[in-house]
Amino acid sequence: MSQIALVDVNCFYASAERAFNPSLEGRPVVVLSNNDGCAVTRSPEAKALGIPMGEPWFKLAPRAREWGLVALSSNYELYGDLSARVMELLGRYSAWLEVYSIDEAFLGVKGTPEELLALGRTMKNTVRRNIGVPVCVGIAGTKTLAKLANKWAKNNPSFDGVCHWDSVPAAHRESLMRRLSVVEIWGVATRLTKRLTALGIHSILDLARADPVMIRDRFSVVMMRTVLELQGTPCIPMEEERIGREQLIFSRSFATPITTAAGIRQVMSVYGQQASARLAKHGLQAKVLTAFAGTSHFNPKDTSYPSVCVPMPMPTADPVLLTRAAHALLPLIHAGVRYVRAGIMVTDLRPTGNQSPLAPFENPHEELRIGTLLDDVSRRYGRGSIGLGHAGIRGGPDWTMKRDMLSPRYTTHWDELPLVKAA
Amino acid sequence: MGVIVGPRVIDAGLSLLSVLISPVPVAAGYPSPAQDYFDGRIDLNEHLIKDITSTYVVRVSGDSMEGAGISDGDELIVNRALEPRDGSVVVAVLDGELTIKRLRITETGVVLQAENPGYPDIRVPSVSDLVIWGVATRCLHHV
Repeated sequence: MSQIALVDVNCFYASAERAFNPSLEGRPVVVLSNNDGCAVTRSPEAKALGIPMGEPWFKLAPRAREWGLVALSSNYELYGDLSARVMELLGRYSAWLEVYSIDEAFLGVKGTPEELLALGRTMKNTVRRNIGVPVCVGIAGTKTLAKLANKWAKNNPSFDGVCHWDSVPAAHRESLMRRLSVVEIWGVATRLTKRLTALGIHSILDLARADPVMIRDRFSVVMMRTVLELQGTPCIPMEEERIGREQLIFSRSFATPITTAAGIRQVMSVYGQQASARLAKHGLQAKVLTAFAGTSHFNPKDTSYPSVCVPMPMPTADPVLLTRAAHALLPLIHAGVRYVRAGIMVTDLRPTGNQSPLAPFENPHEELRIGTLLDDVSRRYGRGSIGLGHAGIRGGPDWTMKRDMLSPRYTTHWDELPLVKAA
Repeated sequence: MGVIVGPRVIDAGLSLLSVLISPVPVAAGYPSPAQDYFDGRIDLNEHLIKDITSTYVVRVSGDSMEGAGISDGDELIVNRALEPRDGSVVVAVLDGELTIKRLRITETGVVLQAENPGYPDIRVPSVSDLVIWGVATRCLHHV
């Protein structure tokens, strides 16, 4: 039977930090947003302290010492690289992989309930061991139910991180859906709950038992799909583009496999330009680009899941820069290998406005390759060793973020490799 | 500078021309006979890294592994996918720190050994009492 697995990394940013700094295990950890603004990721220990999502750092800072709280700036290059590794590893388990966000992916999976549970456990254990971050897996007949199963796996320790929806007795599933409010379900906006309540729909179970046609008439086709999905009818298809708070993803499977670097280059060029247009539309710039491709799971002879994580010299929405960055995947493409999907993901997004003082100079810099030169010098002599004249080095030019609590970029910079003690 | 810069991260600023142009000059009239024999340069990633998704590069701090040819400041290629065995050089988590040791699995128990007489062994009842972070496969020793 064909099913959908949702795999996502638990507290991804905090887990990525712990992968290279084991002293953070068991301690409350928060990762802060751009410019060290507010807590965007909280470890379970930080949640247990009652720290709400999005709490500003200035409010937390005075009590950090008392709590033993560790706060870290967002290390986007580390997260981008680990995300690429997780997706690459998951791609080995399914030909149908939709990277849904930086830390979660939908996979098409097949098998008996026992096989699906075993597959879920294998994926969970392999990602944990090979990459170093913990994941939970939810498997069900539809994306909406897979999301719900994943949430259940995460919150109920008896699942040990893997929940196969259909293997859970119906009475347990109903009791869960009765306990959870409709706001807990994927795809239902908080603002709609009042109108649902007016119709006597409070819990997820109420929504699952609603008449889809009535829901379509009163709300929208989108809400009807959610109802149908809760009833077990898959109707949310594979999507090629996602925009979330943190990243933008373009990915698709090909009807006919691509077997040449030239073919992949074309795909990457299209995505590079699409990403540029989409970033511009949302008034955003990206600092990190991840490009990936993969072969079919059903063709075990030539398996290949190349991916690259490219730190951009500066935040950009420039189509030329993004496309060139995406082309970094090409040397990893082997002629004759049948690639059935490819995509790019841009992360570390920030509003274009942040860079406005420098914008008039951006193009001349680009032509003179000053951005590249600065990057080369910084790479060789360390960050802050060179800067643009009137912007200064330590004065904090507008386009550099405040990241006072940044951990090393362990996997992307030779000067910042993790240290292992020989003592 | 090392040759293996963090697995699969490529500087966006580098020109891809260096990759795309033919590595052997192409004569306009008569083709170079060497061209037929050129299969690409040695790629250290290919030879030193088996499973790039599971491989990290770490840097050694300290001299407790001198006897294994691993010196202060050397870089190690660590594969997290490998099963640690008796004799493996492993990165283990000790007191919240990544630590490099030789793993010995014997009938009487498990020992994390230094390769320097100045450092004591660490004994544990079984491998499951240890957190093994990864298995070192190569040392990039600075000569």
